[in-house]
Amino acid sequence: MKVIRGAVDEMWSVMEQMVGSVFRHGLPLTDKIAARTALTNFVLHIHPVRVRRSWIRMSYTLCLGGLSFFLFIVLTVTGLYLMFYYVPSINHAYQDMRDLQFVVTFGGLIRNMHRWAAHAMVITVWLHMARVFLTGSYKKPREFNWGVGTVLLLITLLLSFTGYLLPWDQLSIWAVTVGTNMAKYAPIAGPYTRYLMLGGHAVGDATLLRFYVMHVVGLPLIGFLLMVVHFWRVRKDGFSGGL
Amino acid sequence: MATEARDRIAARDRVEARRRQAEAPSTVRDDSDDEMIVSFPEFIFKEFIAAVAMTVFLVLVSIFLQAPLLGQANPGVTPNPSKAPWYFLGLQELLSRFPPLMAGVAFPTFVIVLMILVPFLDRNPSRRPSERKVAIILFGLYMVIVVALVIIGTFFRGHEFIWNWGWVLGSPQTCGGAAC
Ligand code: HEM
Repeated sequence: MKVIRGAVDEMWSVMEQMVGSVFRHGLPLTDKIAARTALTNFVLHIHPVRVRRSWIRMSYTLCLGGLSFFLFIVLTVTGLYLMFYYVPSINHAYQDMRDLQFVVTFGGLIRNMHRWAAHAMVITVWLHMARVFLTGSYKKPREFNWGVGTVLLLITLLLSFTGYLLPWDQLSIWAVTVGTNMAKYAPIAGPYTRYLMLGGHAVGDATLLRFYVMHVVGLPLIGFLLMVVHFWRVRKDGFSGGL
Repeated sequence: MATEARDRIAARDRVEARRRQAEAPSTVRDDSDDEMIVSFPEFIFKEFIAAVAMTVFLVLVSIFLQAPLLGQANPGVTPNPSKAPWYFLGLQELLSRFPPLMAGVAFPTFVIVLMILVPFLDRNPSRRPSERKVAIILFGLYMVIVVALVIIGTFFRGHEFIWNWGWVLGSPQTCGGAAC
């Protein structure tokens, strides 16, 4: 009997140690514990430990910057799933999309989520910009972060645009034909820019590969690095807070 | 559970509760907007709720709304009208009205550069909306124009990108004469 009780006790304390190694500070029942939790937790440390109540009123930020970032994460996760089934070649791309929609488990749902989250992100980033403008939050010392934001808006649009081509249906190639045609009007550089984007004179296999590589690696990487800088500056410049 | 273990937990809880009481802030919270509060868990909880709400919204929309997938791409058959994605329809609309060099290159470049320069052009130090009427009116105008151009491009441009009251004629899209 004693042996069993001892073993149970031992197991219990091992379990406590396991839980304690992950959640080092218990429930945040006092400010001190809460502050220590936030300071020593990787996920939480991008947040300031202390904030003014007025800064975190949802009516001030409307959560728009945070939601933009969250949508970026949703797009990364759903995008990974799509990548398992999608081959960026004009012989496979369209059939892969149909398989995703009709054959792959949850393929249709994940594809829809990726699509609608992309549209939603264009909207939330745009509205975030409007919030920052209307609250005058770009003023000194946040001029630089406004500039970083502007580039992030462009990256968001380019991510959406490069993704548009990938299903390789009539909507994709003609939308991208129209879009890339705009580039050719630039003086001197125009036609070269268009050639660089398409990897040829018309939308084809080379274009699909280029758009794919930019869509899944190039642009997300640049966007992520810029977001890191953006969040760093929000912290270092101090959040603008209430009016 | 063994009684010894239970006793030990109860004892630990008592110690914890006593320590908590000792650490509790002596002042009563004033609840004013200016009060400094610890961001965890209140702030993080708000973000969490927003993320959950967005996820639920996305899943619901994705269950009921199918992402478009038309016929396989065919370089030989051009749909008419051919439209850019909606967020570029403002540009396409400008291209249909102004010379391409101006609408397709000069204008977007100008807008991007202007946007980056906004913090340096706006010399007014105030952040209060009532003291920034000009800036807010100009920005509002910019927003209205962009939204209007996108709406026109999406709903009121039909065959050959010619003006079309969507609800009168429908939106006939043809591919080289035949319907798509
Ligand atoms: C991918 C796009 C973007 C993401 C993920 C993002 C994320 C964020 C987040 C999380 C914040 C903290 C406050 C808040 O949530 O409002 C913030 C603040 C800020 N953002 Fe963005 N942002 C993006 C694009 C932009 C754009 C397009 C602009 C402007 C052109 C911009 C300018 C700013 C500025 C100036 C701040 C500081 C605001 C303040 O202190 O009140 N951001 N951003």
